[in-house]
Amino acid sequence: MCSLISLFTTFLKIGAFTIGGAYAMIPLIRAEVCQKRGWMEDLEFMDGLAAAQSCPGPIAINVSIYVGYHLKGAKGMAVAVLGTVIPSTLSIILIAMLFSRYAEAELVRKAFHALKPAVVALIALPLIEMARKAGLRPSNLWLPVLVLVLVGFADISPVYLILLTIAVSVLTSLRRT
Amino acid sequence: MLSMFFTFVKVGLFSFGGGYAILAMIQQEVVSKHGWLSPGEFADVVAISQMTPGPIAINAATFIGFRQYGVLGSLLCTFGVILPSLVLMLILTLTYLKLRKRPWFQNIFKNLRLLSLGLIAAAMIMIGRGAFTDWFSVGIFGICFLIVWRWKTNPVYVLVLAALLGMGLG
Repeated sequence: MCSLISLFTTFLKIGAFTIGGAYAMIPLIRAEVCQKRGWMEDLEFMDGLAAAQSCPGPIAINVSIYVGYHLKGAKGMAVAVLGTVIPSTLSIILIAMLFSRYAEAELVRKAFHALKPAVVALIALPLIEMARKAGLRPSNLWLPVLVLVLVGFADISPVYLILLTIAVSVLTSLRRT
Repeated sequence: MLSMFFTFVKVGLFSFGGGYAILAMIQQEVVSKHGWLSPGEFADVVAISQMTPGPIAINAATFIGFRQYGVLGSLLCTFGVILPSLVLMLILTLTYLKLRKRPWFQNIFKNLRLLSLGLIAAAMIMIGRGAFTDWFSVGIFGICFLIVWRWKTNPVYVLVLAALLGMGLG
């Protein structure tokens, strides 16, 4: 079982290496929390992820709250959120104080030129494994593909799709009983 | 300073879908409504947020808070953005832990998991649009994909490797 300190350092590491937003965090959290340390089942993590996407606020923070609370209660939640936020806050304050033209620095630009495709690769692989675990079959492939098209290409807000999914799920299970 | 705090609470409360949805909301509040940043400065904030570790919304809130009121402002804005999350996500987590054995609740999550896959794929495409600018970035993608697929390497090492490759060869 995990201790508060190892939970904190794990999320500190996740926060420090999350580059380009919450979705870059998914492979990191999954690798650390589910695979390396075995604190949580893959399916439980995916439920948390789905809940985090359905909740307002930064997804990365929502996932930290879920994982932290799930593992260690309120203290675990506080520790996981702090771990996620500290690297971000520190680096931004440093940049704002020291080098205001950070984004134009040649070396930084070059590093990110390679980091962006790396993040895409890091998200692509767990997506395939998660699809298998989520029970993706030819018969229900239309749902994620439709979501992908509506959100990725037509810029529809995920909120409507989430609410609709919840409503339809509840209705179908009511009809069955 | 208080009005800034409440603005970021509002941003946290009304932004769904993470990262870029939040940036649009921050732009509306901070640039258009309150004029705390000019559009050009906001573009800088977005660029810096994408190039620093951590959730984009937290980076942007920290930066804007720091610009206006220093370290205290940055902490306050960051806390403002995550405050709605703390309350709502905690309620969601508690509900989940309580109800997850019920069939109707499991049915919701069975479908949400599929939806979540679509959202992740959409996010991947959005990142990919800005990522594949030349053959070098396609090569990096291929190398990283192979490394993780073949050896299940920890993503942290892959990111470090990609950053070094970019600085050395990019």
